[in-house]
Amino acid sequence: MRSTRDVVSDEDMGKGHYSDPPLLVLASLANGPKHGHAMIEDIAGMCGTRLGPGTLYGAIGRLEAQGWIAPMAAVERRQPYRITAEGKRVLRAKLGTLQRFASAGLERLEVK
Amino acid sequence: MNRRLARLLVGLYPRGWRARYGDEFEALLLDRPGGLEAVANVFWAAFCEHIFPTQGGAMHREAVSFGSVMKQPSAYLPLAMSVTALALVLLHVARYGAMHEVDEGPTAHLWQLLMVLQAPVIVVFAVKWLRRAPRQALLVLAQHVGAALASVGAVFFFNLG
Repeated sequence: MRSTRDVVSDEDMGKGHYSDPPLLVLASLANGPKHGHAMIEDIAGMCGTRLGPGTLYGAIGRLEAQGWIAPMAAVERRQPYRITAEGKRVLRAKLGTLQRFASAGLERLEVK
Repeated sequence: MNRRLARLLVGLYPRGWRARYGDEFEALLLDRPGGLEAVANVFWAAFCEHIFPTQGGAMHREAVSFGSVMKQPSAYLPLAMSVTALALVLLHVARYGAMHEVDEGPTAHLWQLLMVLQAPVIVVFAVKWLRRAPRQALLVLAQHVGAALASVGAVFFFNLG
């Protein structure tokens, strides 16, 4: 059996897109406020997932309702959002879980 | 995406959502390419927003007033049914006096129908509005209960039960 390190092609990278819109939005806002268009581009650059505008605003609405992100003063009609302290705490917890999960999964793949 | 298409797509969302996010969402759509994929994505997201509306935060606070909730048929119909049932009791008492009858007449049957049939309407109202506008919905539900108790109370008060 070949190691997974040897078989990850560009095509496989495409299959590895991560799609949890609220988590992606939180992660995008972790390094500073952004408006919708900037979030979509940032997320695409971060993990290859390009959120649709409806999906993005579905996530924004729910995150705002939960108090994990908050709107800032609008620039023209573009509305930037920032992550709240509670949002950072939630993001840290979720990413910690994902990190443990990813480590465990990759370790299993390496076992021959 | 062109302005006309963007406006059309924003219009697919519920009114409360549009009041909160419509302007900025339209600005985002204008910044994005308007391909079929984006249009389909917005269609689906708007449909989901109708089925599972965003709750809490700044949503619906300004859009939903007590008056607008009361204008819903599921809000005023149970009230109208209870008031009609109460009126039936009072008319019966005014006409025949407060006497208990062993054999239930048409008035009693109509009263029972009005009281029973409003139950599913109240359930529909509660399911639809408790999540969307909890405070306003609770006020309406309190009115439903008050009106129903008034009608039932009149039956017992005049010893018609």
